Amino acid sequence: MTHPEMNELYELYALGTLEPELAAEIERHLADQCEYCWGRLQEATVLAAAMAGIAEPKTPSKSLRQRVLAIGGGTQRSRGWLFAVVGLSAACAVLLAFSIWSGGQVHALEDRMNGLTRERNELRSALEILSRSDTRTVQFGRADTPHGRVFVNRNRGLVFVGSQLPALATDRTYELWLVPTSGAPRPAGLFQPNARGDSVNVSPVPVNPAEIAAVAVSVEPRQGSSAPTTKPFLVVPLG
Amino acid sequence: MPGSADAELIRKLQARDPDALVAVYDRYGQLAYSLFVRITRDEGTAEDLVQELFLRVWSHASEFNAERGALGVWILSIARHMAIDHMRSAQARFSTRLRSIEQTDHPCFSYRTEEAESAIDRARAVKEAFSNLSGDQKRVLELAYFEGCSQSEIAQKLNEPLGTVKSWMRSGLERLRNVAKRGAGK
Repeated sequence: MTHPEMNELYELYALGTLEPELAAEIERHLADQCEYCWGRLQEATVLAAAMAGIAEPKTPSKSLRQRVLAIGGGTQRSRGWLFAVVGLSAACAVLLAFSIWSGGQVHALEDRMNGLTRERNELRSALEILSRSDTRTVQFGRADTPHGRVFVNRNRGLVFVGSQLPALATDRTYELWLVPTSGAPRPAGLFQPNARGDSVNVSPVPVNPAEIAAVAVSVEPRQGSSAPTTKPFLVVPLG
Repeated sequence: MPGSADAELIRKLQARDPDALVAVYDRYGQLAYSLFVRITRDEGTAEDLVQELFLRVWSHASEFNAERGALGVWILSIARHMAIDHMRSAQARFSTRLRSIEQTDHPCFSYRTEEAESAIDRARAVKEAFSNLSGDQKRVLELAYFEGCSQSEIAQKLNEPLGTVKSWMRSGLERLRNVAKRGAGK
């Protein structure tokens, strides 16, 4: 295929919508370091980005700006699970003050504060995984069913973020599993969703993508299991 | 820092200046949000995706080449990919991705700085040019851009001959391309 023939294909290639056989033709030129093709692809990428302007303008909520500010370590409070770290830190401070005021309840509050501190540390671990450039994101589920994302980092572990998870009986828990390409699933942590069915679970175990084919979730007895005792209700392929 | 060029913003991001991230958000956030809303049709999902997008900007900051710019092009390209991936993933229950271009050093993003600075102006110019296209040209370009459909998928969806779809798309893209080129030459 000649360059004039290819000329009208670069935008489609930049949009990722070119038919595979034509995309392969462009990729052959790119692999040969064809200067013309690289130049046209750059122009096409600029146009593809500019096409964002076609979308009808919408104004995000003011809180979204605060959520973005919090990513960079800003001081304003924000909503959203990712920034629960900030909220939990504040909660710890309040609990500390309250425990001083109410001496009789010091031990109970200390226990609760320790729990919150553990949760805060877990969310910090989540943030560490989420913010690394080599972390992969895999989505699962539809909006009207259990859905969410799994963030996988080879060295840091994984973060499971689920929404609309069904409520559990009091003697049951969800258990996360790493499903290897061969062999038995490995336990990767227990979790309980909140009243809305949301859950964020951090598993600080290295996840070698060559060995782990999927992440699964099953319902287990409250203390957890060393192997699934029920059929996993969620299986999220990582490949 | 409302007047900072993309290159200056990149340098400040690399110095881990949180104000730079907010400045990038102020520059590109609404455009990205509008794009996410258009593709996902859900404002809550769009806000989550914006948050994830800027987390990626923050995470990848050290990889940008400030001399080459292209921050805006990268953000808007990644935003579209993220939104379409999100929709496909939600439908297929697992991740299916468009061709990956997330690497900041991808040759696609090797522009001269002055070109990167005009990403917003170019988006405005393309929007205006798009409004002047025919209904058929708009329909095929919207399906390609917002839904990631190939030409044959569009032909199937619209029940139109593939050659007709290609013709509408070619003429529509040509008009947008000319506008984008003029914008780059400002």
